[in-house]
Amino acid sequence: MAQTRRSTARGLERVPRTAPVHVPDDEAASAAARRVRRRERIRYKIFTLGLGLDMPMLFLILVLLSVGLVMLFSASYAYAYYYYGNSYHFVLRQGMFAVLGVAAMLLISTFDYHHLHKFNIIVFGIAVLLLILVLVFKGTAIAPVKNGANRWINIAGLEFQPSEIAKFALILMFAHLIALYGPKMSKFRYGFLPFAGILLLIGGLIFLESHVSATLIICLIAVLMMFIGGTKMRYFVAIGSVGGVALACVLLFSDKFAYAMNRIYGWLDPFNPPEGVDTWQTVQSLYAIGSGQLLGVGIGQSRQKYLYLPEPQNDFIFAIVCEELGFIGALLVIILFALFIWRGVYISLHARDRFGMMLGLGITFQFGIQAVFNICVVTNTFPNTGISLPFFSYGGTALVMLLCEMGVLLSISRHSNIEKT
Amino acid sequence: MASSNMSKMWRKTIVITSVLIFFGFGVVVANLIHWQLVRGEELHASAVDQSLQSTELTPLRGTIYDATGKVLAQSASVWTVALEPNYIDQEEGDDVKIATCLSEVLGLDYEDVLEKTHQNSYFVYVKRKIETELRDEINAKIEEMEIGRGILLQEDYKRYYPYGSTASTVLGFTGTDNQGLAGLEIQYDEELTGTAGRLVSAKNAIGIDMPFQYDQYIEKNDGYNLILTIDETVQSIVEKHLAEGLEMWGALEGGTAVVMDVNTGAIIALSTKGDYNPNDPFTISEEAEAAIPEIVEEGVEDALEKEEQEINTLQLAVDTAETEEELAEAKEALESYDRMTSEDIAELRVTLEDEAYAAAQNKQWRNKAVSDTYYPGSVFKMITGSMALEENVATEETTYTCTGQWDFGGGIDPISCWNHNGHGLETFVDGICNSCNPYMIWLGQKLGRQTFFDYFEAFGFTKTTGIDLPGEASSLYYDVDGLNVVELATESFGQNFSITPIQMITAMCAVANGGYLVQPHVVDRIVDSDGNVVETTDTSYKRQVISEDVSERMTQILLRNATSESGKNGYVPGYRIAGKTGTSEKVALYWQEKAEGIDRGMQYIVSYGGYAPADDPQYALLVFYDEPQIGGASGGSQAGPIFAAIMEEILPYLGVDPQYTEEEYENLADEAPNVIGMTIGEAKQQLEEQGYGYTVVDYTGENEDEQTVYTQVPSPGASIPQGGTVALYVAEPEEESYVEVPNFVGCSLDDCNYLANISGVQIVISGSGSSGYAQGQDIAAGTRVKRGSVIKVSFVSSGGVETAGGTNAAAE
Repeated sequence: MAQTRRSTARGLERVPRTAPVHVPDDEAASAAARRVRRRERIRYKIFTLGLGLDMPMLFLILVLLSVGLVMLFSASYAYAYYYYGNSYHFVLRQGMFAVLGVAAMLLISTFDYHHLHKFNIIVFGIAVLLLILVLVFKGTAIAPVKNGANRWINIAGLEFQPSEIAKFALILMFAHLIALYGPKMSKFRYGFLPFAGILLLIGGLIFLESHVSATLIICLIAVLMMFIGGTKMRYFVAIGSVGGVALACVLLFSDKFAYAMNRIYGWLDPFNPPEGVDTWQTVQSLYAIGSGQLLGVGIGQSRQKYLYLPEPQNDFIFAIVCEELGFIGALLVIILFALFIWRGVYISLHARDRFGMMLGLGITFQFGIQAVFNICVVTNTFPNTGISLPFFSYGGTALVMLLCEMGVLLSISRHSNIEKT
Repeated sequence: MASSNMSKMWRKTIVITSVLIFFGFGVVVANLIHWQLVRGEELHASAVDQSLQSTELTPLRGTIYDATGKVLAQSASVWTVALEPNYIDQEEGDDVKIATCLSEVLGLDYEDVLEKTHQNSYFVYVKRKIETELRDEINAKIEEMEIGRGILLQEDYKRYYPYGSTASTVLGFTGTDNQGLAGLEIQYDEELTGTAGRLVSAKNAIGIDMPFQYDQYIEKNDGYNLILTIDETVQSIVEKHLAEGLEMWGALEGGTAVVMDVNTGAIIALSTKGDYNPNDPFTISEEAEAAIPEIVEEGVEDALEKEEQEINTLQLAVDTAETEEELAEAKEALESYDRMTSEDIAELRVTLEDEAYAAAQNKQWRNKAVSDTYYPGSVFKMITGSMALEENVATEETTYTCTGQWDFGGGIDPISCWNHNGHGLETFVDGICNSCNPYMIWLGQKLGRQTFFDYFEAFGFTKTTGIDLPGEASSLYYDVDGLNVVELATESFGQNFSITPIQMITAMCAVANGGYLVQPHVVDRIVDSDGNVVETTDTSYKRQVISEDVSERMTQILLRNATSESGKNGYVPGYRIAGKTGTSEKVALYWQEKAEGIDRGMQYIVSYGGYAPADDPQYALLVFYDEPQIGGASGGSQAGPIFAAIMEEILPYLGVDPQYTEEEYENLADEAPNVIGMTIGEAKQQLEEQGYGYTVVDYTGENEDEQTVYTQVPSPGASIPQGGTVALYVAEPEEESYVEVPNFVGCSLDDCNYLANISGVQIVISGSGSSGYAQGQDIAAGTRVKRGSVIKVSFVSSGGVETAGGTNAAAE
């Protein structure tokens, strides 16, 4: 079994693909003792540059990033030209942050993720603090209200969404707790209560920022992590039904019910929306997607980006991808994302320990879910809600954050039991 | 435990991942297939559609020319000022700048414009149809004040009618979108409009061109031009006199006059007075506007009176109620009666005012000649007369005794002649010239209803003429089965059926031109913007109604009528006018008004229809006034002088030469002045002062006026027709300028005039008068004389020479 594998802490050696060797019990016991000893011997170093990086993952990240930048440029230049007088406005900034982000990613990948155990509570504290700050300073220069929602914070000229940090903080906290509780996860007290409390805190704060999509994603990530971590199924069923009924009641008895229903009608038939529901963005997105047909209109040739599709560099960038690259191109991008998820999961499953595994899965699922949801919104599979497409959508700090998390994933890969190329 | 835990986690992870990848992306891919591959074409088309903006290229509306090439209606470029409020940068203060600029240049209210810049809209009109100079001014201001986006200046067209109200009811007018609203503008709207072109280009969502090669240009086709048969000069003359008469006779319902070429049906002039200026068609005349308050007050009074009556009725019901129930009901009805409040009355006033204004507009737009029907009255007698001659039920000499009325017998009220004393024994010619009703009734009865109706139909009274003008009214008449004895009698002298003036003049043309019912028309030809003829109106006649012989005979009778009988007010010396007066009673209106309790007496339509010259009819004219108030209503004394005044002015213009009768000549003949030895310039001046024409023969060099007159024809002191022409020679006449004297002997006066005219000589006559034939001439036929020489022709009384004129004269 596992103890017969000659795994190393650094994951430098190839794992021989041989059938498990039967080991006598006493030998097994002594091997277990050795393993414990060896683990104790490991000294976490700050730098382990160049060693054990998962090349397929790095390759996927860089390919997605490059394609994303090219498409961002193509999608944004008309908008940038008309509103900023400079076609390169978005791509230059995004490029700058991408360079910065890749550097940060590589740096972080050399940093042993186990140190994050220690930083866990600090990261969590910062995240909660920022979320509260947004609510407290709502409407001021620190927390400007944009498009009717206050989900942004502006600190020292850096503008970002604290929910991005909160997602990572939650993933980190959950991974930490799951690794900590181990087999006790099946118990209510360990496997459910603390997680539910944390989720309620973070999710509640984000919900108060009227950021429904982020709340949804964070809940989904949390549930997935708890589920994998070993929380009993029945708690989900219970909480799911209670939550569902509560949500239904709130919707039914609040004055927003009609509005919500209208939104749903608008979603079901965007071309003939009910009065008061603006489906312009969705319609324009579908026009863009439809215009692409099989082979696309060619890169740079999008018609919809000429101010028809609002802010084509943001959440709806995939529509421009569909228009310019066609079904084939869109399929290739989707395959890239699928490969990315697969590789992230693969790395996580081969992580050296439960903490690495849960952390890696959390990060992978976060961006995987975001990608799937974003494309679902763009194709009107889901109602329109603000979810950005990782690696593609414009947003400097978000990109840096994403690449930092990729750094963590790569760091996990350095320590995992994967064949390294 | 740990490893089983781990493998559980593996399994769960793999399940979740699979779901995420295969289900999540699967749904997405399925959707992409739906949108891109299944509905791709459709969505692409919609996307292209929304980005393609087509700019309409307005075609230039065709020009309307008169017969001589004068422009009657023309479109010129103007500009429409609009705003794009949603693109106005208010932070830059552009709204204030725009409001300042436009209010200054266009003289608009600053606040109004400012309010428009704040509207939530992409397009708001500010002012339409401004001149190019103002547009340039706005453009200069935009640059000067550095105004950003927001003001739109679009090219448009405005219709101009250079001659103002001249021929307005024929031309019509156009609306703000250059669409025809009345007259020829609506009749030929399609031809005049042309087809719009289109410039299709790809625009982004804020209307700026996208860098795509989608531009597509569809050329516009300018509208066709119309060339009318109307001659502006004739039209103006007609309108001038018609308007004079309108004022002179105070015709309440206006007047109309039509000049028509009897042989082609071409309308040379058509006017309705009480018309409007097509440059400003919605403004009503001052008089009409001044009359509105009175109409409103009357309306209000009527309403109040009606209310009082109704209340009285209800009160009466209360007073006379017999049972309790009835009483209660009546009281209830009285109490619940909805009395007019002061607001109601104010509202009523506004409504009445609007109605009165609209009615005045409609009245001034109405082309009476085509859209109004009337009883033609005595003018119709020429038609009845023609029927009788054609059917041989009477000849010129057939006699009948008019006793002053026509008795039907059998208890039917008799019909009076206008002359209650009766005309006594009279011939057919007298019957017409006396405008005798019983004579016509007698003819009608002799014709019988079937024959009468057949001719009535053949003369085109049962169908619209199909003139190319909108709103032609249908006539009202008795069908053959309805033509009982009384109806036949009244129709015989032109009462009791309604036709349009255009029908009357068309029938009159048939009487004049040898019996052919021509197709009246206003448009001679349609040409495209390059001048190529698209369509020509061919002269067409529908049928021959009467023979040429009857036509000629009827003309002679009418000539006599106009020269010396009831129609002599329409007479113009030298122009041989054949004409008939008409005075018709508006009987139906009279009884209707009587029923409504209005008593303003019998109203009349007075008319005069005629044509000239009698020996070769060319132009017909019908003048009529509706409801004249000043002077006794009479076609002869009211429409006649106007007819004469118009004919006198238009016939020379239209190239009909005057041919004077002997009496006329006697008044006119004169001695030629002596201009020999003067310079030509001096001679011209002197001749002009004395009312003579002149012509310089055989001189083509320069400085004509400084040449000395070598000789003149006719010689000094020789007789010359009044207003005749003196030919001036600067040298001995060359052989070419001699003409041969024609043979006048045996010819009637008219024929003599004709011969002289074509030969280049002038004649004076001696002898016993116009009612004879030429017996001799002072210079023998075939002699070569100088052009312009005056030949003295001697006449004798008619005896054996059978000419139409002679017959007519003998019948006198």
